[in-house]
Amino acid sequence: MGKQNSRAVIFQERKNSGFEKLEQFTGEFPEVKEVWFATDLSLKDKKGLSARIKECGVEKIIIAGESPGEIKSFVSASLADAGKNPEDLTLVSANGTILSDGDLLSVFKAKILCAVKDVSFELASDPPVNPVNKATMVIGGGIAGIQASLEIANAGIDVTLIEKTGTIGGHMAMFDKTFPTLDCAACILTPKMVEIGQHPNIELLTYSEVLDVSGEAGDYTVKVFKKTRRVDLATCIGCGDCTEKCPVKVPSEFDAGTAMRKAIYIPFPQAVPNKYLLDGDNCTYVQKGKCGVCAKVCPVDCIDLDAKDETIEIKGGNIVVATGFKTFDAEKVERFGYGKYPNVLTSLEFERLLNAAGPTGGNIVFRSKDKKGNGIFEANSDSPERIALIHCVGSRDENYNTHCSRVCCMYSLKMAHLVKEKLPDAEVSEYYIDMRAFGKGYEEFYERIKKEGIDIIRGRTAKVEEKNGNLVLRSEDIEGMKLIEKEVDMVVLSVGLEPGEDSQKLAKSLNILTDDAGWFAELNSTNQTVNTIRGGIFVAGVCQGPKDIPDSVAQGSAAAARVIQSVINSKVKKGLSDLSYNDIETKVNELISTEE
Amino acid sequence: MSTVVNPDLNKKLSKFGNKSEWNECFHCGNCTAVCSLTEDGNLFPRKVIRQIQMGLKDKFISNVDPWLCYYCGECSETCPRDANPGEMMMSARRYLTSVYDWTGLSGLLYTSLPALIIAFIVIAVSIFGVGFAKQFNVDSIMSFGHHFEKYAILSVFSLIILPNIFRMFWFTILKEKTKVPLISYIKGTWDFILHMFTQKNSLKCENNTFRWLEHLVIVFGYLLLLFTTVFLNWFSTENTFIIWLGYIAGGVIFVFTFDFILSRIRKNKEINKYSHPSDWLFVIWLFLMAFTAFLVRVFIDTDLLSNNLWLYMVHLIVIAQWAILIVPFGKWMHFLYRSFAIYFANLKKTGLNV
Repeated sequence: MGKQNSRAVIFQERKNSGFEKLEQFTGEFPEVKEVWFATDLSLKDKKGLSARIKECGVEKIIIAGESPGEIKSFVSASLADAGKNPEDLTLVSANGTILSDGDLLSVFKAKILCAVKDVSFELASDPPVNPVNKATMVIGGGIAGIQASLEIANAGIDVTLIEKTGTIGGHMAMFDKTFPTLDCAACILTPKMVEIGQHPNIELLTYSEVLDVSGEAGDYTVKVFKKTRRVDLATCIGCGDCTEKCPVKVPSEFDAGTAMRKAIYIPFPQAVPNKYLLDGDNCTYVQKGKCGVCAKVCPVDCIDLDAKDETIEIKGGNIVVATGFKTFDAEKVERFGYGKYPNVLTSLEFERLLNAAGPTGGNIVFRSKDKKGNGIFEANSDSPERIALIHCVGSRDENYNTHCSRVCCMYSLKMAHLVKEKLPDAEVSEYYIDMRAFGKGYEEFYERIKKEGIDIIRGRTAKVEEKNGNLVLRSEDIEGMKLIEKEVDMVVLSVGLEPGEDSQKLAKSLNILTDDAGWFAELNSTNQTVNTIRGGIFVAGVCQGPKDIPDSVAQGSAAAARVIQSVINSKVKKGLSDLSYNDIETKVNELISTEE
Repeated sequence: MSTVVNPDLNKKLSKFGNKSEWNECFHCGNCTAVCSLTEDGNLFPRKVIRQIQMGLKDKFISNVDPWLCYYCGECSETCPRDANPGEMMMSARRYLTSVYDWTGLSGLLYTSLPALIIAFIVIAVSIFGVGFAKQFNVDSIMSFGHHFEKYAILSVFSLIILPNIFRMFWFTILKEKTKVPLISYIKGTWDFILHMFTQKNSLKCENNTFRWLEHLVIVFGYLLLLFTTVFLNWFSTENTFIIWLGYIAGGVIFVFTFDFILSRIRKNKEINKYSHPSDWLFVIWLFLMAFTAFLVRVFIDTDLLSNNLWLYMVHLIVIAQWAILIVPFGKWMHFLYRSFAIYFANLKKTGLNV
């Protein structure tokens, strides 16, 4: 090997990446002749770099950084300019947040080692295996978690599904129709929910939160905080007498605050488990020791007002994390007047209005006030005649979230269509930055909606104000080259998706990584899309990044496939986080010696 | 008609202060919609940014829109890309100043700090040289100073300001072959004068009343000081009324400019976040000019000036730098260009309606 000492490593510097620490480490390899930084001004242009390549006699270049592909073509061209083979180039990706974590710097170091030694990192970092406990835990009972649980349980494997709220179903249960087929969301979801409830292989823990996760791949122990429902699931017959008599009213989470519920309630008629639940935080008895009327009227005596929460431990070999998302808090964007003007709604509230099983029976109406001043919607209120939908609220915005939430364009188009269906004479307009109709059948759906008499305007709305009792929104019509000041009766804010409230805490317990926006990080975005840095822990659904229902379902199935694979093989691969730099170095040397 | 694309236009504009990438803008239209001054026919800042991104130099130069912006900063605060459209518009104004200026000095002084410093030093040395030639005699230097002011105003106005305004007229109206009926020119004059002295359009900007008032006081204070020193000969007059008039004008300016300087240091508002050397020079020199004028008159009234000629020399140097550099080539011209831009924008509109 005559060209042993002829490699250069270029660090593609980014803010806070801390590559200086690696200069000495990289320089000590006998194969490495030069260590450069892309920030070095003399290397900024092709001329400077190719001159340096020639001058130092470099034959091969390794680009290491957070997204080394960005400078690949430039480095390759410089190699060619210097009379070298432009293909002698290896990229080493730091893969998102790995560098921010001290322990995981070793992974990046190992990747550099493999590039320098010309060994495949995938081969060298193939982790050892552990025996597996067949029982599986799924965290989160939305559509992704439901899909994963059913796939795994149908393969004959025991599953414990842990859900934070009183019912499974997640956000999808709140929706009226799905895009682009306009199928009824509940018709797809509720049979699956029922199947979960009745499945012999699935144990469902609702109203339960994960406190802590310990153990290792194949043998995890999950500590679950089981909040008491104060209603015995086995004996409750779901008659509803308790709810009828309960004097406490609070905004319903399931209805996104568009209607009120009682302190003892059932989240929605198709809830699974279809049993009542007492919300201790709002119950007069639990808080003040008075009332208790629900227990008195219960015909089967299934309510235990003094029941206590408990903490239990569950063991299993694999974990699927499918904890979903929360929607962006529209009040943060003051210019849109959410929270100030009653008829500025979030898209989630609007979903509930559109839903035939929602608080208004599917009537689109103005917000009214109940006796205590809560803004609710009632079926017999007046309907708006002019409705505007504003895209990208809290998404693609440096002031809030930089990511695209992926679903808002499509659900907004869907909503516009549904408005036209329910109120054919209504004037509907949409304001967007870019129309992202990227999926199968989506562009066709967009074209269809455009023909339905809806004003679809390119231009981000800047503000919504109330003038003479009307909402006036201001936007530039970019294609029409004019300024729009439009009077409407109702504004719907298409709010984006954000990582769930407790996602950082959960990531810490699971010891998995999150990306800059807070989504759970997959190991590799092209071929290990549901794996995490830890063996036996998989992610599915929106908790890994914004996605729509078809994609969440697909990812739920994908995560299930990984679990089933490991159970069939009776072993589970450990994760990258279980490997030390020395482990990988030993493997690299082994691979080199077998090659020779 | 063919369109010439100048791909380096954005790089050129960046030399005039904008620190953000022009391509950061993804054309959502937020800045235009949030702006209280934009209207159909004059859509900005987005359209201006578009012209610069695309390198449409001729279109951009014929555009008066950058002058219609009073930089309230709301577009920059709410920009989803942190692209800083307000600062982009400010750079556009500086660039346009250099385009209108036939001497080319504007562009040089805006883009090269060394050139700016050298120019200031040359003037300071020249004034010092004059003092030396007059053997630092108080009376002859003060008489020189008084005449200098008059001739400087006259020559700067006729040799630079007037031709440059005409060039602006050429680029925005004549070259575009906009046919404007003669009557529109006459009809627009009142509006033009009103805007020039009150800059009342900036009142449309949100929460801008106080800033507008400060500007208005400074403009009138400045004009009053100019009038009292140049035409009423403030430094030599015995008339108590004129003496007090000058004191008030000078005092008002240095109090208000001091506040402007402080807010630029504190950077507490969007508009103060970015300060180009030309912004600093403008407020500091205005402050110095008023402050030294005030002190000179105090020294005259207390008979201290003959022993402290240095003060008058400093004042004269500041005046000369102001009159020869800042007024014709710097930020001062914004005051005129803005007013003419409103005038021309209205002409264009009537022209389009023909």
